[in-house]
Formats: sequence, structure tokens, C-alpha cells
Amino acid sequence: MKSLTRRDFVMQSGVGVLTFCIAGCEVETTPGDARKQGAAMRVLTTSEVATLEAFGEILLPGSRDAGIANFIDHQLASPSENQLLMIKYLNVKQPYANFYRGGLAALDRAGRAESQASFNELGTSQQQVLVSRVSRDNPPGWDDGPLGPFFFFVVRNDALDVTYGTVRGFEALRIPYMAHILPPSRWGE
Amino acid sequence: MDHLVSSGIWARRLKWGGAPVVEEGRQPVGYVFNSGYGTGGSALHHYAVWPRFHAEDFECNTRYGRGLDWPISYDELAPYYDEVQDEVGISGDTEREIWRPPGAPYSLPPVPVFPQGEIIARGFAARDMRTAPLPLAILSQSYRGRAACIWDGWCDAGCPIGALANPLTVHLPRALAAGAVVKTDSTVTRVLTDANGSRAVGVEVALQNGERSSVMADVIVLAAFAVQNPRLLLASATDRHPDGLGNSSGMVGKYVMSHAAGLIYGLFDEETRSYMGAFGGQLLNQDNYAKETHVDTGGFGSYQWMIGQAVRPNDLLGMGTTRPELFGDDLHAFMREAARGFASMTAVVEDLPLATNVVRLSDQKDQFGVPLAHVTHTADPASHALWEAVLKQGTGIFKAAGATHVWTGPRGPMHIMGGTIMGRDPTASVTNSFGQCHDIPNLVIAGPGLFPTSAGVNPTFTVHAITARTADHLLAHWSGLQG
Repeated sequence: MKSLTRRDFVMQSGVGVLTFCIAGCEVETTPGDARKQGAAMRVLTTSEVATLEAFGEILLPGSRDAGIANFIDHQLASPSENQLLMIKYLNVKQPYANFYRGGLAALDRAGRAESQASFNELGTSQQQVLVSRVSRDNPPGWDDGPLGPFFFFVVRNDALDVTYGTVRGFEALRIPYMAHILPPSRWGE
Repeated sequence: MDHLVSSGIWARRLKWGGAPVVEEGRQPVGYVFNSGYGTGGSALHHYAVWPRFHAEDFECNTRYGRGLDWPISYDELAPYYDEVQDEVGISGDTEREIWRPPGAPYSLPPVPVFPQGEIIARGFAARDMRTAPLPLAILSQSYRGRAACIWDGWCDAGCPIGALANPLTVHLPRALAAGAVVKTDSTVTRVLTDANGSRAVGVEVALQNGERSSVMADVIVLAAFAVQNPRLLLASATDRHPDGLGNSSGMVGKYVMSHAAGLIYGLFDEETRSYMGAFGGQLLNQDNYAKETHVDTGGFGSYQWMIGQAVRPNDLLGMGTTRPELFGDDLHAFMREAARGFASMTAVVEDLPLATNVVRLSDQKDQFGVPLAHVTHTADPASHALWEAVLKQGTGIFKAAGATHVWTGPRGPMHIMGGTIMGRDPTASVTNSFGQCHDIPNLVIAGPGLFPTSAGVNPTFTVHAITARTADHLLAHWSGLQG
């Protein structure tokens, strides 16, 4: 049996380098750049991406451009042992795609129950009101999927990851990153 | 080591990524966050806060009629604390740490105190409470070829310069030099025993390609942490051991414990530079370590304050997560304010051992056909009451320090202990004081699963001390352990 060192393990697991499919080619880049270049999603549908980006933008403005949907989609397509999503801490049963899909569908249903429109079709102020409700309880129409406040918590943290958990995010807060070893992929840039 | 990455997102790869663990109870143990995956295990991402247990932690039942006793005393373990301390290098201040049990002086000068620590210390002083440098297994000076820390707060992402005493830094290189072989991506699925069940003879291993093999040995040491060790013992049942190996007492899996984290957060007008330092903190307070300090509120047990943790913007313990109700522009505004004046401290609150907090086998199985671990944990009411009392105290300290806003976090699980407890009585414990299973002496358990009580301090130093004691014992009795 070949013995693997930890270094081998880490090297082979592709530390921090996110690979996206752009124009039919596998490209290593950041979630933000992947979004700009129209990278293909591997797990989420176009409709789910639209809802997720709209939700993320209300949770933390700027997270859409930082590539929140690309980051989450990339991770949902990754092997479970390599997961980088914070949801892995929260005792949610895998596959995590079911959690995200369930929450996004519930968000759209809540939008339709409120204003006969899916979440991303609502106006910004309507979205803010609905998100405020989701942060506290399941709103009308949220009759399936994860609990609203829990879904809010998880995606809000994903938004924090891509927006502030990066070298650029630290710089925006005037916090020195002080890396021993910089991430090869600056998530969110 | 040089392929570890300074990123809170990347660091999640160091957390548990193996077979799911089913959790239930009012206060789940938080298995994924508190355990590790890969060579080095949970100690690779641990924060290296290394205080000693106190004498009363080993005699809780005798002294107070609550909890359990250890089969060893502090005095018996003290030489091993000293030995390990010298080996790994601990930074601390022996004189100022007035609560510290007897032992050799620290190997290294104390860790530096940054503005966050100085500011919070004002609150302790205002309440006539004392602070001392937090004892950390992180080098304040270069030590035996290892570099000193630069206090940049990336401890939980692994420490690529080797300043933090994780297994890859101190012990694994020595083990490899002595001829040890590490076989990764090899999951132990069963402990094998001889025909009459009196000896362990090896382990069955599942490889990533689905093939099975076995590794035979004279002595088997299970060091798969507090949940996977009992899972493996229970899953290794035979005709001779129908309830699992080492389980004639019925104690395998029982008395699982997890410290409650008492999380205090605050904003200050001053610049705290809370990104500086170590993830575990800068200062220590153990003024209220006596277990009956808060009996008036129904609380029982010990606790300590770890003061001034280095924090990042994101992640489960990041600044943004401390105010989970905020979103939108309010969240951005908070992040900017917190980046300048955020401060935090964390209490390690004792969790009393309960036989009802258990690891058992789930009906579900992993990819290798081994039943998953099912962990139930609900804190003793006295432990929960202690946590509530601690939060009140911490809030008052932050106000006394001049915080403009103070808030607390939820009851987070911190560390996992118990499940294969050591003891003198073979009918009430799994192993003897050396971690040898009462039923099968050449089957040895290592790690915090051996703890009969959790104390009110971080467990890793004590794990090392009891392991050093076990190693001495095994070496001295090696011929008797061989078949």
C-alpha cells in the first residue's frame, strides 16, 4: 500500500483552487471572475442561481458580484470530504444541494404567497421585508425545506465568506491579512 | 506543513470529513467542528491553550459527591505535565498564574498582550479579578529548532512555521524518524481479537478503492478521538464480546462530555486590533475555578476565562457571525465598526459526566458497512446553570472594561471528552489509568475519551500528559503485553 503524507493529501485535494467550466474549458479562477465570465453551473439551475444571487445581495450587498452562487455551486459539486462551505459544521445531512434547493424553493414560494412573484422578481424593499421575516420565522408559503431562520443563517455566512473571508475583504475592513501562506485562490475577487 | 494555507475557509478542510455522525440531545457535541480529519487529527487545528487540570478535577466525586473520580491524582500526573511541557515548549508566566497547580516553571516567556487584552483586563481589574498570560503551547521564542510565533491569528488553519505544537510539528517527525509508518486513506473498520477473545491481534482496514486488508500487532492503540473510539469498539462485537470490545461493564460510549463555551462579545471606542494574537486568546482568569462558586444559582463546576481571542471577519467564530440577526447595509456597518473595536473572551465551562450522554451505533451505515456513531448529549442542569451564571459575570466584566455594546453568543460545544472512561472499577469503567481496556489489556485507548470528568480547562495538555504516562507504562511492561 502506498503511504500518503499529509502534504500529498493536501496537494492532491487541490487546496483552494476552484475550477470552473467557462466556454467549455476548465479554468482555475475565482468565483467572482467565474461569474463575470459566465461560468457554467454544475448543480444549481438558472432559476435557483437567480434566487440565490438575489437573496445573497439582500443579505450582504456585493456578494452577488463576489460570486456567491458560483462559490456555493462549485462546493456542492465537490466531494464531501473537501467541502469548504460552513454548513459542514451545522449537522446538516448531505448532500447539501438538497438543503440549498429546499431553501431557495421555499423562498420563491414565500415570495409568491406575499406578492405573486418569485423572490428575485420582487422589488428590493419587498425582498428586504421578506428576508427580515425569514430571519425570524417561516413566512407564509414557506411550507417545506429547511427552517427559514436556519437557511438565513447559512446563506448569510456564505455571503460573509465570499465578501469578507478573502484578502480583498480583509483589506476593505483595513485588517491586515498577515498570511503565512496566501490562499492560491482569493475567494470572491 | 508548507502547504497549509492561511485562510479560514480553507481551514474547514482540517475538520471532520469522514462518515457522518448522528447527533441528538439539547446540547449536541458539534462533532464536525470539534474533531479533525487527516494526519494530526483535531490537534492540527486546535488553539493550543494548555492549562493543567486542578487537583479537585481528579477527585470530583470524593470531594463533592458529584461527577466521577479519576483513578489517578494530580500529583501522579504532574511529572508528565512537566515532561510534556519541556518537550513541546509552553509560553506562560508561572508567577502571575496564581491558580496554577504545582509544576515546573514554563519553558518560555509569556505571550505578548495586545490592545484587546489590555482593554478587557481593565474590566477584570475593576472587579478585583486577576489576569495572567494565557498558557499556550505556542512559542514566544524560538525553541529547539522551531520558530517563534508572529501572532497573526491563523492558528486553526494549521501553523506552517511550526510555532504551535501540533502533532505534525513535534511528535510526528520524531515518530517517522524512529520508523513509524503513517497510512492515510485507510479506515479502520474493526478491531480483531483472538479465538477466545482475550487479546486484540490486529485491525481490519478499508482502503479507498474498497479493498480490505488487515494490520496485525502485539499492541493495538485506538486514537480515533472520543466518538470514533467507542464506535469502533461497539462495531467490533464478537461472540465472545457480544456487546462490543471492552464493554463487559456496559460503559463503552457512556459519559460523553463537551465543555460549554461562554461567549462574550463587545465593541469599544478604542482600537482593539483584535486580529492580533493567538486564536485561543492572550490572558487567563481562573478566580472562580472552585466548583461551588455558583451554587446559589444552581450551578456546579469549574470554569476559566480565555481573554482576547484573535478573530477574523468570517467563519463560525468570526466577527460577522456574532451578530446573526444583522443583514444588508447594517451588516456592512457592523463589520466596519467591529474591525476597529471588537473584543471577545470565552469561558470554558465544565460539563458534568452523565451516563445518559452516550455514543451508540446508529441503524445507518457508512460506505464500508460500519454503523455510524449516534451521539446523544444533554447537559446536566447544574452545568447549564453554571454556563448561564458565567455569561452574567462576563457581561459585567465587559461593561466594567468600558464596552459601548456587550452581547453574548449561544451555548457552543467545545472539546469532546468521555465515552471510554478510565477507572479503578472494571464494572464501572472501560479502561485502567493507562488506557488499557479492563477486558483486553493489549487493547489501549488514547485521547480525551478516557476522561471521567471534563474539568473547566482545555483538555489537550492533559491528553498529552496521560499519553506520556501510558507510553512509559507500555514500554516498561512491553514483554507482558506481547502474545
